[in-house]
Amino acid sequence: MEDYTKYRLKNRDELAAVLSDTDHLFVVACNKCFKEFTTEDEPDCGAFEEIAAAEGKTVTGSIRVDFLCNKTQTARKLQGMIPEGTENIYVVSCGLGVQTVAELALEDQIPVYAAADSLNYTGHHGMALTEKRCDACAQCYLNITGGICPIVDCSKSLINGQCGGAKNGKCEVDPNKDCAWEKIYRRLEKQGRLEEFLDQPVQLRDYSRVNSKTVSEYVKSIRENRLDGYYGGVHPLERKEATEQIALQKFPEPETVAIPLSMHAGAPADPIVAVGDTVKVGQKIGEAAGFISSPVHSSVSGTVIAIEMRGHATRGTCPAVVIQSDGKNTVHESVQPHKGLDELTPDEITAIVKEAGIVGMGGAGFPTSVKLKPAKPVDTVLLNGCECEPYLTADHRVMLEYADDVIYGLLAIVKTVGAQKGLIVIEDNKPDAIECMKEKTAGYDELDVVSVKTKYPQGAEKMLIKRVLKRQVPSGGLPADVGCVVSNVSTAKAISDAIQTGMPLIERAVTVTGEHVRKPGNYMVKIGTSTKDLIDFCGGVDTEAEITYKAGGPMMGFVLSDLNVPIMKGSNGIIAVDPDQGAEQPCIKCGRCMDVCPMELSPLYFAKYADEENWQGAKDRNIMDCLECRCCEYICSSKIPLVAKIKAGKTAVRGMK
Amino acid sequence: MLITELKSKDAIRSLTDGKKVFIINCYGCREVYFPLEEAGELQAELASSGSVTGCITTDYICNPENLELYLKPHMDEITAADLVLVFSCGVGVQTVSSFLEEKMVCAGCDTRRLPGFQGVTPLEYDCGQCGECYLNLTGGICPITACSKSLVNGQCGGAKKGMCEVDPTMECGWERIYRRLEKIGRLDALKCPTQLRNYATGEAAGK
Repeated sequence: MEDYTKYRLKNRDELAAVLSDTDHLFVVACNKCFKEFTTEDEPDCGAFEEIAAAEGKTVTGSIRVDFLCNKTQTARKLQGMIPEGTENIYVVSCGLGVQTVAELALEDQIPVYAAADSLNYTGHHGMALTEKRCDACAQCYLNITGGICPIVDCSKSLINGQCGGAKNGKCEVDPNKDCAWEKIYRRLEKQGRLEEFLDQPVQLRDYSRVNSKTVSEYVKSIRENRLDGYYGGVHPLERKEATEQIALQKFPEPETVAIPLSMHAGAPADPIVAVGDTVKVGQKIGEAAGFISSPVHSSVSGTVIAIEMRGHATRGTCPAVVIQSDGKNTVHESVQPHKGLDELTPDEITAIVKEAGIVGMGGAGFPTSVKLKPAKPVDTVLLNGCECEPYLTADHRVMLEYADDVIYGLLAIVKTVGAQKGLIVIEDNKPDAIECMKEKTAGYDELDVVSVKTKYPQGAEKMLIKRVLKRQVPSGGLPADVGCVVSNVSTAKAISDAIQTGMPLIERAVTVTGEHVRKPGNYMVKIGTSTKDLIDFCGGVDTEAEITYKAGGPMMGFVLSDLNVPIMKGSNGIIAVDPDQGAEQPCIKCGRCMDVCPMELSPLYFAKYADEENWQGAKDRNIMDCLECRCCEYICSSKIPLVAKIKAGKTAVRGMK
Repeated sequence: MLITELKSKDAIRSLTDGKKVFIINCYGCREVYFPLEEAGELQAELASSGSVTGCITTDYICNPENLELYLKPHMDEITAADLVLVFSCGVGVQTVSSFLEEKMVCAGCDTRRLPGFQGVTPLEYDCGQCGECYLNLTGGICPITACSKSLVNGQCGGAKKGMCEVDPTMECGWERIYRRLEKIGRLDALKCPTQLRNYATGEAAGK
């Protein structure tokens, strides 16, 4: 593996000359990039401190920073780190790091010095540490040279054939180097393209300077887009077009349903029916087993035929109540409309929501009734209609087709938590939903619709709060700590149903899609319906090749090794997509995981620490703040299964307490 | 981090005319840039003419190990093609061409000229990798990339109202350096001896 470290410490004499006029130094060192991630302790920082000491200088302190040129993270890491009495800052990094620190140190008016020189490589390397490089000449010659670059590989960057100076196939400038034009000739000979090549007209290279401003401006716009609303995030292909215009359809009555007793965060529900019992639609079949728990209800009428371990999309297996439907859909007597919203007290609403088994339907499954009793005063309710996961369109359809219910649910939440404002937040890739919600909320002073620019993981509540309200939820904290409650649009609809019809949470909108599903669509599906039935109903898949099925979207969804798992309260989609083909490669410190992590963490260390089982290290780098949004794994150029490693790390850290 | 732009339609048509084509799209650096719409449009045209044997959209094809894994399931389609057309930066094209040494592998994109490399995250600073950092004398503003002429011993004198004579929309790098040094009280840095730049290129430089 090549080492593309960008800097080398200046030599002793040069440093001595710069150091002679300065004292009381603080040292900022970059941990290097584009080299195999083998050590955390790059020697250059220590080496510089030794030289400074030998020159009789006082070093006030030092800090080693990953990817110093990552301005946002570097600014945060340097905050408050520079000790009183520091007169000069020395930076051990490439020119980018020096310029970043120089600008950050401007406020304090501390002079910044470079203690290293940037190393010069011809051309740019890619996102793997191979010898292949590209000089970005903006006029690619690879099409006529059989894919060997004459600009980088020829010492003279000749583009119309060899100079004639090669000896025994070796370059006359650097005898260790093969003559690039001999390599090109051999390659083209092999492909039978010599004639075509020799017939080419002479190539003229445009040496005019490219307007650097265009690129600078472009890069600036990219950066703004990247930092828009909150740090990091990614823009995966949305691929929502297959289903976004397809109306929700009632999914055919399942013959049997397997209703897991755990579809929520917290303790599984205790079953309160027995095998052989007759149950009706909306009848409670499992009782909440604690404060953070939730009851479950039957989604069909029929007979309980088993209470046994069944496959579960997120937990492997889980006890489930299996019910054979009688096809009659007889509704249970307990299902009765409640009083209107005006007459209900907040406590009554919370009780209804709790009894209806409503949990966060965006996927996390946190019991909504707990959210409705925040420990701190709440001023704003954010209703999450972002649906930032690619492919999924279930929430989108719910907003369009059940707008009144969603708004009713939101009003209920606003009233219950005593907020002044309810905001429906929708990404700008759903203009019809924004339009629809704007129209419907026009009559309510306390409600508003906020359109936000699409960026994953916008739907994560911490990101949403930062984006919309510019408030930062503290590490380990909850939205209520900054006066917010965040709820999903489908959850709001479920709350509306529970109040207006008395029907507990027994069905939900599910998107079935992915490039291999024959007939993608959006369905209202009863909880407990088998995933396999959904895929079959949608015509199955169109290929014999290996396919990855996921419960949820491609980013945060769970891979299903077995399709015999039931649809649950948090199941927003089932997707069938091409499997990831890459294999894990060693980390090369490309810095992209840190560049995209919305929580501003350093995922590359989590992978390293998981491999070394250094759980304390992972904890010290705030692994528990990770949202598991998968941005880092998505962007990883080495295909490292970061989320699996992070989950292992979190489990181990929890066990440490 | 490399930015690419699509070659002209004519240039691509002259490559693909009468040939069966296998297409590889690399989205690895798409967070920075990929000419998504243009490439999609062009490939749809090629596909409608019936000359496409297969197409994959993947990422980081500059990584040879993973490239091999990506291409394996498609070897039949690649064999059936006369030409493999790669939409990626120059590193990606070279990686594909050395893996498929006996196939004609062509680039659908040109890699845009970048003045100096840009670090791991899109940044407004550039570094020309000159191998002899001048930032110590310039208050942390790089004269190689901030000055159109890459002057290392002060301004050329051609600036008008602080704007560069080469590109009137660009600020004079040396004026910026002067202001910065003034702000941090280090105008004395300008009294340093004349700097000589080592213009050796390639492997010989900076080593």
